[in-house]
Amino acid sequence: MMAGRLSGSGGLFTHGLAMAGLVFILSPLVVVVALSFSEANIATFPPVGFTTSWYQGVVADDEFQQAFLTSAVLALAATVTSFVIGLPAAYALNRRRMPGARAIEAVLLSPFILPILITGLALLQFMAMLRMRDALTNLLIGHVLITLPYLVRTVTASLKQVDRSLEEAALTLGASPWRVFWRVTAPQITPGIAAGCLFAFMVSFDDFPISFWLSNAERMPLPIYLQNSMSKVFDPSIATMSSFAIATGILAVIGLEKLVGLRRAMSI
Amino acid sequence: LSWKIVMTSSVLHTTGIPTRRPAVPRSLIGVGMLVPSLSFLLVFLVVPSLILLGYSVLTQSQSGDISLPLTLSSYQRLVFSPAYRRVVVITLRVAFLTSLFASLLAYPLAMVIAYGRPLVSRITMILVVLPLVVSVVVRTYGWQLLLGNSNSGVLNWVLHALGTGPAPVQVMYTEWAIVIASVHVFLPLMVLPLAASLGRINPYLNEAARMLGASAWRAFLRVTLPLSVPGLLAGLTIVFSLTAASYVTPQMVGGSRGLMLGVLLEQQINTSFDWPMAAAIATVMVAIALGATVGVEWFVGRRAAARRRRSGAR
Repeated sequence: MMAGRLSGSGGLFTHGLAMAGLVFILSPLVVVVALSFSEANIATFPPVGFTTSWYQGVVADDEFQQAFLTSAVLALAATVTSFVIGLPAAYALNRRRMPGARAIEAVLLSPFILPILITGLALLQFMAMLRMRDALTNLLIGHVLITLPYLVRTVTASLKQVDRSLEEAALTLGASPWRVFWRVTAPQITPGIAAGCLFAFMVSFDDFPISFWLSNAERMPLPIYLQNSMSKVFDPSIATMSSFAIATGILAVIGLEKLVGLRRAMSI
Repeated sequence: LSWKIVMTSSVLHTTGIPTRRPAVPRSLIGVGMLVPSLSFLLVFLVVPSLILLGYSVLTQSQSGDISLPLTLSSYQRLVFSPAYRRVVVITLRVAFLTSLFASLLAYPLAMVIAYGRPLVSRITMILVVLPLVVSVVVRTYGWQLLLGNSNSGVLNWVLHALGTGPAPVQVMYTEWAIVIASVHVFLPLMVLPLAASLGRINPYLNEAARMLGASAWRAFLRVTLPLSVPGLLAGLTIVFSLTAASYVTPQMVGGSRGLMLGVLLEQQINTSFDWPMAAAIATVMVAIALGATVGVEWFVGRRAAARRRRSGAR
């Protein structure tokens, strides 16, 4: 039995080490959340007492709202754009015989290989050359660069799991390729792609290195705003804002687990 | 399989059953589906990156214009100036240590995900993935709080409470702080390919080793570990490349003693306004990322070839 593979003292030892690993994984997040409830005026350990006043302050803070909204809108727009241009590309690569399909796929996934800090810097320089000064447009283009490869990879993985005999049956029975896609392929790949979109959304929502180059004082996504505030503000409100980011992450993980299960979403 | 579809449809043609004939040749539709994303990447990724990398061999005038003549002086400074060379060495060392420690920490987690009881496996998986969707800025802030050099840092506070005296751990703003926080940032990317690799191992192999008298530890070392190498290598490559290219973590916890290439690059742009130097640093960072990927692929290819030779000899 599979479950028997981690039994006995060896299994106990492995579980113990894994437990230590989980403590390591959770400790920075737990510390941040714990300090967000501290009554002290500076964010230092240990937290003092218990108050939700930092939360009330942060929720009412215009700048924080603006940053959170900018990040959410940007992530949504980047994910939708990546979906619109990425889905047909991944479909064409996997369902039509293309000369050089492997090379094209490598190009589509190339943003994975290039360090994101450099992708952002290159884009900043390019947009300056073109005199494109609109921060929101520049941010959107930059964020599509980092979300597109996730979409291509997810769609490809979902397409590979589709039962091809059903598609073939529909084709032989005279359905057009378009109809086959909508009636046979699409229903099978929807959950996987939804999970991929959610993950891409979070990649954009959490991004620092692209936004770092392309944002300005008016258009500041949440991670940039947080990092800026950290060098100016030392009270627990930073921990509170960070806790909102952690909460968003928790919601996303629950969403991924509900959609297809984390194992499939992370392609294990 | 697509070959099968072609076969069946050609059979249909010869038997006279009517099939729809598309108005546009199918290959053109396929190309059309690729055009938007490929041209987007060409315009906003490939061209800008090439321009940036090109800057690294150009000269910047006093007024800031970047033009000919071609020169390698930026690279020369990066390699021969001790201050810059130190940054390259720190970057490689931090990336190496991070991938090493991440792999050690990842094995037990990946094994619990791959082989643990369903509920335990599922909870472990959720907790491993959770940090992946929390911004690096937030996670590194957590490490700033944990590793603080005074007694208000969580680690020092705990040690102090245990009676070790005032602030024994001075790890903040050193290379070690970057390694610790980077292990945290990239650990999920090590655990996931490793768990996938472990899950693909035939469970009977380990069982056979145990039945033949191997201890659990020996069975792990001689059966599970070698068979998980593909996942391990994938994880090492990703973690090494991403650590070497990181900016946020070294900027927030590295200080001047833990200066890495990403931070140096940012300083060249925002403080020194030296674009050719920044471009040279960028080129080196891309070379490190590509070098790790290509190097590991070469190693995997060589191993596979050696295995083929061995099995062929038998």
